[in-house]
Amino acid sequence: MASNAANLNAVRETMDVLFEISRILNTGLDMETLSICVRLCEQGINPEALSSVIKELRKATEALKLFRIQLWLRPLWA
Amino acid sequence: MAAPPPPAHWSHFEQEQARDVRALVQQVTGLGEEEPGGRFQAALSFTSSNFRFHRFLDVSSHKVERTVEGIYEKLIIHSELGKAVSWKRLTEKFLNLPLPNTEKTKTDAHYAILSLLLCLSDSPSNTNYVEKPREKEVEKEEEFNWGKYLMEGEEIYFGPDMNSPDWSEDSEEEEDTQPLSREDSGIQVDRTPQEEQDQNKKMVPNVTWKVGEPDARSWLEQHVAPQYWTGRAPRFSHSLHLHSNLAAVWEQHLYSSDPLYMPEERTLVTETHVIRETLWLLSGVKKLFIFQLNEGKVTVRNDIIVTHLTHNCLRSVLEQIAAYGQVVFRLQKFIDEVMGHSSENLTHGALSTPKKATGAPFRTYQAFMWSLYKYFISFKEELTEIEKSIINKDKTITLSIVIDKLLPRLAQLKVLHKVFSTGVAEVPPDTPNVLRASHLLNTLYKAILEYDSVGEASEQTVSLLFSLWVETVRPYLQTVDEWIVHGNLFDPAKEFIIQRNKNVPVNHRDFWYATYTLYSVSEKTENEEKMSDNASASSGSDQAPSSRQHTMVSFLKPVLKQIIMAGKSMQLLKNLQCKDGSPQQTASRDAERKSLYTLFLESVQSRLRHGEESVSDIITEQQATKQSLIKMQSIAERHLELDVVHDPLLAINFARLYLEQSDFHEKFTGGDVCVDRSSESVTCQTFELTLRSCLYPHIDKQYLECCGNLMQTLKKDYRLVEYLQAMRNFFLLEAGDTMYDFYTSIFDKIREKETWQNVSFLNVQLQEAVGQRYPEDSSRLSISFESVDTAKKKLPVHTLDGLTLSYKVPWPVDIVISLECQKIYNQVFLLLLQIKWAKYSLDVLRFDELVSAAEKPQLKEGPLLQQERVPQFGPHTELIKQQIHRMFLLRVKLMHFVNSLHNYIMTRILHSTGLEFQHQVEEAKDLDQLIKIHYRYLSTIHDRCLLREKVSFVKEAIMKVLNLVLMFTERWQAGLGAWKMESIEKMESDFKNCHMFLVTVLNKAVCRGSFPHLESLAVSLMAGMEQS
Repeated sequence: MASNAANLNAVRETMDVLFEISRILNTGLDMETLSICVRLCEQGINPEALSSVIKELRKATEALKLFRIQLWLRPLWA
Repeated sequence: MAAPPPPAHWSHFEQEQARDVRALVQQVTGLGEEEPGGRFQAALSFTSSNFRFHRFLDVSSHKVERTVEGIYEKLIIHSELGKAVSWKRLTEKFLNLPLPNTEKTKTDAHYAILSLLLCLSDSPSNTNYVEKPREKEVEKEEEFNWGKYLMEGEEIYFGPDMNSPDWSEDSEEEEDTQPLSREDSGIQVDRTPQEEQDQNKKMVPNVTWKVGEPDARSWLEQHVAPQYWTGRAPRFSHSLHLHSNLAAVWEQHLYSSDPLYMPEERTLVTETHVIRETLWLLSGVKKLFIFQLNEGKVTVRNDIIVTHLTHNCLRSVLEQIAAYGQVVFRLQKFIDEVMGHSSENLTHGALSTPKKATGAPFRTYQAFMWSLYKYFISFKEELTEIEKSIINKDKTITLSIVIDKLLPRLAQLKVLHKVFSTGVAEVPPDTPNVLRASHLLNTLYKAILEYDSVGEASEQTVSLLFSLWVETVRPYLQTVDEWIVHGNLFDPAKEFIIQRNKNVPVNHRDFWYATYTLYSVSEKTENEEKMSDNASASSGSDQAPSSRQHTMVSFLKPVLKQIIMAGKSMQLLKNLQCKDGSPQQTASRDAERKSLYTLFLESVQSRLRHGEESVSDIITEQQATKQSLIKMQSIAERHLELDVVHDPLLAINFARLYLEQSDFHEKFTGGDVCVDRSSESVTCQTFELTLRSCLYPHIDKQYLECCGNLMQTLKKDYRLVEYLQAMRNFFLLEAGDTMYDFYTSIFDKIREKETWQNVSFLNVQLQEAVGQRYPEDSSRLSISFESVDTAKKKLPVHTLDGLTLSYKVPWPVDIVISLECQKIYNQVFLLLLQIKWAKYSLDVLRFDELVSAAEKPQLKEGPLLQQERVPQFGPHTELIKQQIHRMFLLRVKLMHFVNSLHNYIMTRILHSTGLEFQHQVEEAKDLDQLIKIHYRYLSTIHDRCLLREKVSFVKEAIMKVLNLVLMFTERWQAGLGAWKMESIEKMESDFKNCHMFLVTVLNKAVCRGSFPHLESLAVSLMAGMEQS
């Protein structure tokens, strides 16, 4: 249990450090996403693939947002 | 979320991965699994397929480490050292830490994660980053980051802003990646955990920013000076030391000791703010934060505080400054008003009147304003110097240092304000400008004298006041100058103490007397009350009597007479000369001339230089013997130019004084310019002497010059002396032969009992007499006769009363020989005529007349025998003979009397007084003096001719005798028959009484010595007495 708690602390520290690195690099990841990414990487997902997916998803989300705004604005133009 | 269960054949690992992928998609896209249009599913499948089927190589730890190293270098190059250090440390640390599911360090997973982050990185050098301190690491990390540690402590006290980014760098680091827009969730979310951490650390939760507000705002907060005047409490850093938190400590103490104490909301300012606002206030800025201006009053804002002083302490310091600020403001307002800048405060008190009155500029106030303005310019320069050094930050400057530095200035401001309020502000609103101007000048003058008497303690003040006074007095001196040099009293605002009465033309007889009004004297009584009111209100010192004294411009008092004389003379002279003068010549002369004010300034300067020289003399002579003291005495005398006080003792003392002052020479150094302070202070020590030696001589000189000119012109071109001579010739009968012709013709007529009162007859006689010898005067002379009351007429001596001689005196000589003078001349003229008449009557009596008259009644045969027959008639003829003899005797006595009187008046009085008068006329300096001399002459002769009311009893007696004479001559001519012994005896006794009386009175007077001139008359009359 004690080692478990020590481990937990170590992991928390790791995540903190990682988050700092992420901030320095201006990756735009939040803590939650970062922890997901860490797990995925540990599971052997290729990091470059992961990063490209994240970028794509962001782009798509951006496009979707834009689309929704257009959708919302359309009645106004009509 | 209701995730569909993973296929059963999937391993636990695969299930976990699928769940993580879902979570990732949800997290990144923000889509829910129920998203319409199968978007989520599409994203999920896209992700999964990409994970499975990609063409990327496996992670190479070398490559990742190289990249990490490269970023470190890049940050170094971009001189983001802090970032670089953090980067290096964090990456190394990360590699040595276990991962959630990986116990080991520096595994592929570590590198994979780093690689992922590197791939996602978005221009790391282009962002602001401050390392997030972690609680657990505090102890480990503090060894290299003290600043951060302190800052952290700071945050605990003063809010959470320290974690806002500190860097600003604009260079693009990674061109390939597009910066994400601000709406991107990346940055927003990255703050959320921080916030949570902040709260975990129990920071003060007064966060004014909402999460997600742009960083730029906080950057601005850090880099732009906070607007303390907006009233929002700014947060700035300062030391934690007790002394610099006195306010907080005190507040705490109050809070803990007083249960009812309510802490107030206060604006925190720094001492620099306070100092700068102080400087601004003193330089006349009206819109300030700490000091507020309400209706002309400067107050200190109540809700400000500095960290290192208690509220009360700060307030008491600032209130003092505010008082000075108010003084500055008040004086500034006066300056603005006189300049005509401000339009708002026409309603405000006393100062509005000069403007609204006529529009003519009130030059004395303008000059005063100008001197104040000059003072403020230098003052502002000093303030600006201080402010500059504050801006430069190269010296420690505290509020007390500033106040200390300004202390002399503040004292001066105090004096200025005192002078201003007494001299300008407290003057009641509708006071005429004359009084305003002279009151202001007097206040300054008095202030100088007051401070002067204090001695060296107030040298600065005196020199300040002196410079003010010198400036303020300029219009006055210019007015004086214009008047005494050009004869033109130019004073549009009516501020000079002397004012021209417009309705009297120059070429009028009354010009000399009625043209000018001396104001201060006439209006003194009316304003006394006001002045004394002021005095009692202002300070309660001995102002009341002194203000009464000083109602007139006191510095001009000693030379006022000269100024008036010179001014009037000049105006008259200009008027006389404009007929024949050459304007070009005068204009060219005027161009070269220095104005009185310039001369005054020059004299003040030269007086200082003079002092320098004489002092050097004194120093060299110091070792010398007694002789040097005598020399110095003369130097001192010269130095002081004591025209009035010829006091050798004083001079010696002054010389001694200079000897004792060994540093006297030093004091005088640099005294080349009048406005130089050090030199002034010495001058001012003897302020009145300065005036006496620097101002008055110039006025005196001009006075002598123009009055001399006037006298010269009057005497030469306008023949003043000749006219005076003519007056004496005709009125005082100095032209004996001429007047003899005139009056004997009248006397003859009277003797023959013909009418002589006919004006035309009188004038013809006069013209005939005068025309022969004084043709030019004959046209001016005329005589008239007014019948006086008949009661007097009964006496023969008063027959002549009513004869009036008049002489038309041309302008401008009639200023001297006025109608009043002619009246006196006429009185003397009449007296002389009476005496002459008596003398003439006695002179023309012939002895044979009496004898023949005596014989007439007895012998009608013929006059030839009467001589022999008279003795034959025994006792009767004896009686007649006796009568005749007594008549003879009486006649001779009367003649003696009349001749004595005649001699006395004609020679002893008129002639000798006339000689004196002529002498004095020669020496008269100005017209006023001449007029006075003339009047004195007239009153002297009037006096000595016994025409004065006081000695009327003497005159009465003389008149009685003259009357007796006339009656006697009448009887004589009528013949002896008309005579009775008794009447002769009565006449004899009357005469004897009068004679006795006169002799007694005159003797008494002579014995008393009060009338030395009467001596000759008394003696001659006495001689007549002894014989009788």
